Amino acid sequence: MQEAAQLVSKVLVLNDDAEVRGHIKAFCEAHNLIPVKPQAGAALSVLKSNVDLGAIFLQESYLGEGGNALELARAIHAIRPELPIFLRRDTQSHLDDLPDVYRGVFTAAYTIATIDELGPTIAKSIFSFQFPNALVRGITEITKATLENQFKDVEVRTEAPYMVRDQLIYGELFTLIPLESTWCRGYMMFQTEEAPLMEYVANGRTHIMRDPANFRDINHVMGEVTNLIWGAFKNRFISDEPVDWRQSQVPLIVNHQHRYISFGSEDPQLCLRYTVLDPFGKVTPLVIYQRFVFNLSWAPEKFKENEVLTDNLFESGELELF
Amino acid sequence: MAQVLVVDDSATVRNEVGDFLKKNGLDVVTAVDGRDGLDKLKADARIKLVVSDVNMPNMDGLTMAEKIRGELRNSTVNIIMLTTENTPIMKERGKAAGIKGWIVKPFKGDAVIATFKKLAEA
Repeated sequence: MQEAAQLVSKVLVLNDDAEVRGHIKAFCEAHNLIPVKPQAGAALSVLKSNVDLGAIFLQESYLGEGGNALELARAIHAIRPELPIFLRRDTQSHLDDLPDVYRGVFTAAYTIATIDELGPTIAKSIFSFQFPNALVRGITEITKATLENQFKDVEVRTEAPYMVRDQLIYGELFTLIPLESTWCRGYMMFQTEEAPLMEYVANGRTHIMRDPANFRDINHVMGEVTNLIWGAFKNRFISDEPVDWRQSQVPLIVNHQHRYISFGSEDPQLCLRYTVLDPFGKVTPLVIYQRFVFNLSWAPEKFKENEVLTDNLFESGELELF
Repeated sequence: MAQVLVVDDSATVRNEVGDFLKKNGLDVVTAVDGRDGLDKLKADARIKLVVSDVNMPNMDGLTMAEKIRGELRNSTVNIIMLTTENTPIMKERGKAAGIKGWIVKPFKGDAVIATFKKLAEA
């Protein structure tokens, strides 16, 4: 495979001891993890929010959220079953002595002395998918250019790409389009909030202008954003080699009550976060999450960028006359 | 005035392209897919230029172009594809259907308006 992109992932650290948190922080830095510490008593509300996470580090004697860490783990597992939970224990780095009802909710246990042994488990559960650097860089370039084209007079900021294991739906509007090639099969998904997007339409900052905007207007905007990025992705990364359309499919499941979408796989997903900003400050910043879910097939060793043919040098937007 | 038919399932593109062409003195009608495009073309003999997407529900743009030349026996209307597609296979199919040109989205009006005017007034 080509050089892999250096991805990160956020992890929620539930630990009362500042010194231990220091050890965990050092471990996180060494393993491309970004530790997130909730406000006191706010762990469950963080989990119900839109924070994208890769895992949870929980102290067995954690005093927050009622002081019963094992029960807290069960509650977390009920809310976000896809998130691996790593239990920090004082003396034992195994789960053998826990009652069955608790043992099943943890991925592994560790002590501060054995924390480095979690490395392979972290790699397997969060970073099991390697993404070619050229792919991640290309996705970012394509998406940023498209957003700058579809929103007028804006600045588009991107954050470092990261991996998530949760399957939350952010905001009220999401679009989904299949990606099919010899090296990947799955979906590209965009998620965003309705209100700021309405503002952009109402303020004439998209190619549709209507004040007040309605939900169909913003659907059209995100639909075209998705279409343009899908097209550019295909042109850059998907070759003309035939794909076997008889390959399997799995149902997608959406549960609105829990803002949850399942692609039939708990594999980690590549996530990129973009913020569309009005430099004049008149319109609320618009946050757009882009996820790649290669739930049906993933063979990065077959990935390659399409070569630009020398007789096909027309830029986007130029007319090629026949 | 010469009419331009803009065919795209995206309201964003219909608005963007349609508004730009109107501001540049062209008369515009729009259609939401290839089937609608064929109907609009049948109903309006003033249409001289069709600017169409490829990927659309009900009928795609290349099928529409083939039907314009085949079923409608209209060999004079100029057809331009405005699409995210950029593969040689697609373009070859377009050429075989008698389309005049190909633009990969996004639309950049200033780059094409002079040619559009020529084709619409031909």
